[in-house]
Amino acid sequence: MTRLTSLTAIVAVACMITPVANAADLTVNVENIAQTKGTIMLGLFDQATYNGDGAVNGASLKVEGTSVTAEFEGLEPGEYAVRLYHDVNDDGEMNTNPFGMPTEPFAFSNDAKGRFGPAKWDAAKFVVEADGTTHTITMN
Amino acid sequence: MDLSRRHFIEAGMGASLAGAVGVSFGLSASAKANSMPAWHLGYANAPAGGFDPAPMKLVFGTPPSDLKGSLYRNGPAHFSYGDEYASHWFDGDGLIHRIAIEDGQAVHQARFVETRKRREEQAAQTFLAPGFGTLGDESYYVESADDTNAANTSVLMVDGELLALWEAGSAFSMNPETLETKGPKTWRDDLKGMPFLAHPKVEPDGRVWNLAVGGSRVGIYRIGTNGALEDFGLVNIGRAAYIHDWTMSERHLIILVQPWINESLRPPVVAGFEWQPQHGLQMLIVDKDDFSNQRWTQAPARMFFHTGSAWEESDGTIKFDVSFYKEPILGVGGGAAEIRGEWDQSYFSEEGVLTLVEIPPQGDAKLIETGIIGEFPQVDPRFRGKSRNLVALASGASNTRPGSTTLAVHNWTSGETKAFDFGDNRIVEEFLFVPKSGGQSDLESWLVGPVLNIKAGVREICVFDAAHVDDGPVCIWQAEYSWPLGFHGTWA
Repeated sequence: MTRLTSLTAIVAVACMITPVANAADLTVNVENIAQTKGTIMLGLFDQATYNGDGAVNGASLKVEGTSVTAEFEGLEPGEYAVRLYHDVNDDGEMNTNPFGMPTEPFAFSNDAKGRFGPAKWDAAKFVVEADGTTHTITMN
Repeated sequence: MDLSRRHFIEAGMGASLAGAVGVSFGLSASAKANSMPAWHLGYANAPAGGFDPAPMKLVFGTPPSDLKGSLYRNGPAHFSYGDEYASHWFDGDGLIHRIAIEDGQAVHQARFVETRKRREEQAAQTFLAPGFGTLGDESYYVESADDTNAANTSVLMVDGELLALWEAGSAFSMNPETLETKGPKTWRDDLKGMPFLAHPKVEPDGRVWNLAVGGSRVGIYRIGTNGALEDFGLVNIGRAAYIHDWTMSERHLIILVQPWINESLRPPVVAGFEWQPQHGLQMLIVDKDDFSNQRWTQAPARMFFHTGSAWEESDGTIKFDVSFYKEPILGVGGGAAEIRGEWDQSYFSEEGVLTLVEIPPQGDAKLIETGIIGEFPQVDPRFRGKSRNLVALASGASNTRPGSTTLAVHNWTSGETKAFDFGDNRIVEEFLFVPKSGGQSDLESWLVGPVLNIKAGVREICVFDAAHVDDGPVCIWQAEYSWPLGFHGTWA
């Protein structure tokens, strides 16, 4: 079943990555957030990192309304995907029930969904164009 | 058995039966139009909107004046979209019934549980979700167990909250008056989405115990009479056994680890189970006051769906009644073919046998088989976990159709079995004990349950005196329509 337990570490590492200069910008809007508290922990991946342990970038976004926005600068144009979770209780972890199922909201780019596991790369990928891209994820 | 009594009931109901047939509509009409066998009414779709409250007609006997309350029931009730049939009976959407009984009147109503599976399949008018016997459509996303929740197995009333139960996902909270769906029940934030078995055990004072089964790990819920979760713990049962039911005494939880083991969690679930009788039937006995205080016992390999209840003797011996099969009965035909109107006696070559399990303070358990065929064992709710006399079963089999023919009551104290055979024309479902007003023993209780009258194409609710079921029904109310066969219920 779905597990996103390594996402916290991925986001933490990704946040330390320095953007590459003179490349594409990406804006990710996360909308329809149910609870006005906690933090959206967002990881940005390319195909090579999507199923692995490291993200190419990431963001930690305080929730003060029903939406948050992440800005990434200097990305290499190309295909990316987002995995995120809402750290509602701000404990820095994606909480799960005793059988390992997430108890905090999560989402993928393209609003992609998984079937007995995380959404697949092909379903979640989108293109970051050289002149910039805005991508919106709607929580449910 | 009392055939003459049954025939008397048929004769006595003759006039009203004819009337009922004349005005029957919906299920019976569509089933006939499809040239299905008459018993297929039990596996025909219920109307998508359920049933608005409708009085049932008293067609036999005199209702007990002290019988007041509601029989809530749950069962799969949607099996086809056009010419496409569900893959398994167990995967039909849950329909919650309420039969409210008061002042000799009975009123039936029903609503489907609005699960995601129900909502999306109704919108698409096709089957999408994977399930117990269903592979499912690749386009249907599954991010949690509740994405496949059919909410179709039983009901529980706790502190005025009605819950529709499945076994692999959350309970669904329902309005007990209107039967409208509120949504999945989360007992505690960190337990969101945990499974909640369809066979919770309710102590006589109202405290509820239940299990969450996840492979070889089993969670234990203890829920207070106020509906709040008091405790949750985890135990390990060693193998991913099929666990539909379990049992409980005053002091212990008894988890039966039958050797029907899940070797693959991919849908359809039933295909992932293997019968491994070399393991025997192992049983984990857990102290209700300290979940870490456990002991194991074992018995010869058996498969089961349902237990009655357990009690303890003064020397610590634990006893419980259960319907045991020598091997699994599901898979090839049973549960899948009936939906299509197909039935063959060979689907049920194995029948459940009422068995008393005796677990001594040390050593292996002993099985005492009664020879009584039956399922859906029920006991008086005042004596759950305690010593008692009676267990009631849907018993008997027909040569012509699926389902039980007979209501049987076995008395463990006297060794006597009394039964009432409804014959081939009525399919007997689970009957529940309802204590008589002022009664002290389980011999002083009513048995209330539904039958499907396949001859008239309508539903009936019957009341028996639990101590004298062989005398036949005390009264029968009849609906003007049919509804599909269900699984389990509760009286509230």
